[in-house]
Amino acid sequence: MLAIPVVFLVTLMVFSLMHMLPGDPATVILGQEATPEAVAALRAELGLNKPLPVQYFDWLSGVLHGNLGNSLVDHTPVAQLIMERLPATIELTLGTFIVATLIAVPAGILSAVRPRSLTDYSGTLFALCGMSVPHFWLGMMLIILFAVKLGWVPASGYVPFFDDPLGNLSAMILPIIATGLRESAVLMRMMRSSLLEALQADYIRTAYAKGLKERLVILRHALKNALVPVVTTSGLVVAGLLGGLVITESIFSIPGFGKLIVDSIFNRDFVTVQGAVLVSALLIVLINLLVDILHFIIDPRIKSGKEVG
Amino acid sequence: MKKSWLIAFILLLGSSLLLGGCNGQQAGTDRDEDTINISLNADPPKLDPAYSSALVDRMVFQSIFDKLVDLDQHGNIVPMLAEKREISPDDKTFIFHLRKGVKFQDGTDFNAEAVKFNFARYMQPDSVRRNELKLVDHVTALDPYTVKVQLKQPFAPFLAVLTDRAGMMVSPAAVQKEGKNFMNHPVGTGPFLYKSRIKGSTIVLEKNPHYWRKGLPKVNRVVYKVIVDPNVALMNLRSGDVDITNKFPPREIGRIINDAQVRVINHESEGYQGFHLNMAKPPFNKKELRQAVDLLINREAIAKVVFGPAGSPAYSPFVPSHFAYNPDDRPETPNVKKAKELLEKAGMKNGFTFTLKIPTTPAGQQVGQMIQNMLRPAGIHVQLEKVEFGTMIEQAETGNMQAVALGWSGRPDPDLNIYDFLASTGSQNYSHYSNPQVDRLLIDARREMDQSKRKAIYDRIMKIVHEDVPYVYLYNEHDVSGLSKNVQGFQYIPDGLIRTAELSKK
Repeated sequence: MLAIPVVFLVTLMVFSLMHMLPGDPATVILGQEATPEAVAALRAELGLNKPLPVQYFDWLSGVLHGNLGNSLVDHTPVAQLIMERLPATIELTLGTFIVATLIAVPAGILSAVRPRSLTDYSGTLFALCGMSVPHFWLGMMLIILFAVKLGWVPASGYVPFFDDPLGNLSAMILPIIATGLRESAVLMRMMRSSLLEALQADYIRTAYAKGLKERLVILRHALKNALVPVVTTSGLVVAGLLGGLVITESIFSIPGFGKLIVDSIFNRDFVTVQGAVLVSALLIVLINLLVDILHFIIDPRIKSGKEVG
Repeated sequence: MKKSWLIAFILLLGSSLLLGGCNGQQAGTDRDEDTINISLNADPPKLDPAYSSALVDRMVFQSIFDKLVDLDQHGNIVPMLAEKREISPDDKTFIFHLRKGVKFQDGTDFNAEAVKFNFARYMQPDSVRRNELKLVDHVTALDPYTVKVQLKQPFAPFLAVLTDRAGMMVSPAAVQKEGKNFMNHPVGTGPFLYKSRIKGSTIVLEKNPHYWRKGLPKVNRVVYKVIVDPNVALMNLRSGDVDITNKFPPREIGRIINDAQVRVINHESEGYQGFHLNMAKPPFNKKELRQAVDLLINREAIAKVVFGPAGSPAYSPFVPSHFAYNPDDRPETPNVKKAKELLEKAGMKNGFTFTLKIPTTPAGQQVGQMIQNMLRPAGIHVQLEKVEFGTMIEQAETGNMQAVALGWSGRPDPDLNIYDFLASTGSQNYSHYSNPQVDRLLIDARREMDQSKRKAIYDRIMKIVHEDVPYVYLYNEHDVSGLSKNVQGFQYIPDGLIRTAELSKK
């Protein structure tokens, strides 16, 4: 159970890093026009005059009592800010992951089964393009095509899923495709190489020798072993998406979690940054746990601690 | 089994795309004729005029709050919540006669007590408005609809200050109820009332059914959408998801002239951009070096190359729409020989090196590089340091810099664009400039109510400032917004802020 000290260390690091940043929060929050008295008053109100360890332990004890504090900028409870922003990002992440998997797994299998064929080359080309095309460019192209030219979906206009499910889906479909295509490229390359490796193994030759059909050999025997590194990569991809969709969120004006963190850093809203990073650290611990469980389901040998071939 | 799951997934995705397609017309009820959608390039941080420090907040305020007085399209000060005003002969007492029958959006009355409450609130130590109202001595309610504001000394920009945040009337009852949380539930007397907000994405305002201007507002809803990138905002304008954008990509202005859907509103803003030279530190403690830098810069080239039709060269804190603007105030043609002579006079014959802090924006960097190239022929080497905005303000305030590119978004009265930047005690005098003669003239200009006399004083100030060069004025970045041709009733006001009451859609 290393997770608890890890999360604790993350909060300590974020706290220290934020306070190392130049730019006093009171000055940044009040802007150019503020009088020195206003800045001093705000510093006192925000508790910025206290020694740093005191500030950290004040925050930590709040967290242990279930209180993430209030935003330095507009006094909104941080927990509320996070709850407002997290659903959009989780939806975007899940959608992206589904699109990515739907493209990557079949394409990766086809490429690996027929290496150096036309299918393989087109798959590799697709992956190369997917990795190289910047998110923002792809996002804008999708907007031009589907929102401006065809008018099928709105170019922006996020609504929470439970307020208006169809409106939500129509606003989310483009960003999901934009990020999904890119992430599919990452997963596809992993799928291809890992399956290629598995197909070289002795047990595959044995399986063919037993007279099994190719489909069965690939799906039953090779794929199962090949999936382990793919699941690991997927875990990394999902963890990265949770905080790393800032650009997509900006282009499609989706109120996401990544944008909350970035905006809060620029506003020197320490309390919000700390709360948000704490939540993402917890989420990543959770994802790692899920990945471990999936490993165990896919390959029962992992439980006994044996090396996976 | 696996296969059927896969098919189910594909079907689900496909159907959501299709449904999305059918639903596109109604998504978020955006294309409704009764809604005006306005894109903003940043999420407004604080919807409370007392604590707001961002330009983008002021956009939203125009819909929620009314002011004591407002600006018209020519920049004249016109009545708003104060129907009439009287000014005493010594220019120190202002009496405002308030409009009767006006109610705040929470149903409480707007009256003299409310005005008094608002002044007191804006003058509290923690309010960002305190500096603008520094010269107010006290405010008295003479009767329920008459307010007297007593100034400590004559202050010519006073009415102009009241056309902006310091003149916005918020509901005292709502402030008492919400406290600091008022910024999350703002209540004013304006044409639209605050309905809901998804932070980082949208702010929804609805028609104020009891608005005092009869027949207004014309639409039922105003939605502000945060779209950071102006190119994306333009796409939203074309797709009809947005009706007005508050920023426009400069390179697209030329292409839009004959566009069937989009109109461009391009005006000089009231502000200026340039850089402070820190006179408290070498090298810019030497006047000749500051003059040499100023002399080498070709402002026309910067405005043209970086901003095209969306920028103009600037040589003073005043724009042509200000009465204080002097069309004869022109910089000398860049002259390397003369600059070298200045360097020699300062004992720096072989030139010198300094660090210029620039913003992280692409335009900021481009401007920085052009300055670098313009100064090099005289042996002045510029090191550019990209600094994020929050850090830049702090470094400017602590004096931890040689030169810093910080501009100003501008205000309707010339005083508000010059005093705090050039007076010795000015709150934004990051150059550490101190010239007793300029200080005296700045105060004279503040106290002079006659525009032509005030202009003459500003002309004298600028002569001295061009000699001293505490700040290098570079260019004016225009207010450029995009407007769908469906939108009717739009009027450009010189403060660049969009008034929504009279907007409607075909």
